[in-house]
Amino acid sequence: MIQDKKVSKKTDLSISKKFFVRNALILLCLISSPGFAQSSIEGDWMLLLNGKKIQIDNSVVIGAPTDNKAAIIGKLSLKKFNEKWIGHVEGGPVPITINENTIEIIIDSRDLAGFSFNRRLTGSFSDSNMAGTFTIEGATEAPEPGGKWSAKRVIPEKTNLPPEPRDITGIWTPAPGVDFRKYSMDLTDKAQSWHKDYIDHYDQPNVRCVSPGIVAMVAWGAYPVEILESEKRYSFLYEVDSEVRRVFMDNRQPPEYYPTSSMGFSNGKWDGNNLIINTQLLEGNVRDFRGEPISDGAKMHEKYTLSEDGNSLHAVITLIDPENYKEPPIRRRKWVKNPNTVIYPYECDPDSFYRQMHNEDKMDMYFDRSERRQIN
Amino acid sequence: MYLYINKLTIILLILSFANSVQAHHSFAVEFTAEKTITINGVVTEIWFRNPHVRYYVDIINNKNKIESWDVRTSSPSLLVRKGWTKTTIQVGDTISIIGHPGRDDRKLLSVISIKLPDGSSLGKKYPDSDE
Repeated sequence: MIQDKKVSKKTDLSISKKFFVRNALILLCLISSPGFAQSSIEGDWMLLLNGKKIQIDNSVVIGAPTDNKAAIIGKLSLKKFNEKWIGHVEGGPVPITINENTIEIIIDSRDLAGFSFNRRLTGSFSDSNMAGTFTIEGATEAPEPGGKWSAKRVIPEKTNLPPEPRDITGIWTPAPGVDFRKYSMDLTDKAQSWHKDYIDHYDQPNVRCVSPGIVAMVAWGAYPVEILESEKRYSFLYEVDSEVRRVFMDNRQPPEYYPTSSMGFSNGKWDGNNLIINTQLLEGNVRDFRGEPISDGAKMHEKYTLSEDGNSLHAVITLIDPENYKEPPIRRRKWVKNPNTVIYPYECDPDSFYRQMHNEDKMDMYFDRSERRQIN
Repeated sequence: MYLYINKLTIILLILSFANSVQAHHSFAVEFTAEKTITINGVVTEIWFRNPHVRYYVDIINNKNKIESWDVRTSSPSLLVRKGWTKTTIQVGDTISIIGHPGRDDRKLLSVISIKLPDGSSLGKKYPDSDE
């Protein structure tokens, strides 16, 4: 036994030494690489943040499997224009500073309670990798301590693969992490002009018990969804606002005069083992809980992927609305299968909303700004 | 009958009580994230409904006048999963609440923790609860 321990210790030392030498060589290669030319990092990268596990209200994950891998992921796009770097994370603008082989990215975000804060990423890069550490700035309700980050080049996925449907039925509860919850987006002049006078606690649809619509709901990190499958159709039963969404798998088109609405009209198809959902006929609305507009006729693209063990479902959600966004906003979500819950009733009463305005003598102001609640 | 407001104890220990509010909109616009206060009073009205469960609570302020506070917490379906139902707090109950106050001196409070008449707490553990 003693001999075994010695051997094991020796082996450990040998591995550590090799590990050190290998890392030193990689670092040397990186520093001396001609790929350090700054222009080489233009393009799309996939960011990965490994901070402390993000907490989520435990009421929604009761009975669900614990997830200790609450990494946050998101697309970073870098472009150089007129000698200036332009950066976007998940479609939203981010300040970028690049010097020699170092990079700093400041990404604004919003926690579950609505507090906005920044993640400041600093690190170094090569042609194919970036890595460093990040810190949090600003008051979050559940403060994160920061951690490590890395990025790799985005490799385009193969598409138009033969369908390999997976079983996505069941009740799914939101899991922590994954989404950057990028706060600001790259609005067009038209969208900025509309958005500048928005007051979310008077103008958001949900404050007066109107469903915010599928674009906001699908990324909402609090309520479960039940997915049912019937012939050539999935039905998504969302707990929030008791909304129902039908995803037609038979390529049918909406009937003539089918109206635009906040839920739109969704068609789905299996591309390999990814469920792709395209939603059209969205009506003028707001994208999230900050009041950024969605134009009448905007579209949404979603890609759902089931984990190998069938216990978690991941989605990448992209809003396509060039009228309002210079870059398409992206959200990501992860749900875990939760057979230990059911969809609860969701009843909403706007009494408190109107009562508060009445008590504060703001009813006239509210109705004077009705155009804030009508987007075309 | 009414308890005196506990001097509206302003505690500037930001974020020492992590809340679990699932805001439907920008919490930071309506509530003062940088402050927590404590109020004691009697529940006069209960609305166990979305978009937020709320309790109207009468307190006696420093000028010996009754003030009605609009005390807000999360959504019913999120609360009942934890066993916090529409009968957990009753009209007439005397409760103590720690929360984030509304901006501009509005009598709004976003709940962090509530101490019930039996000494137990809801939300985050109340500092001197009997648990």
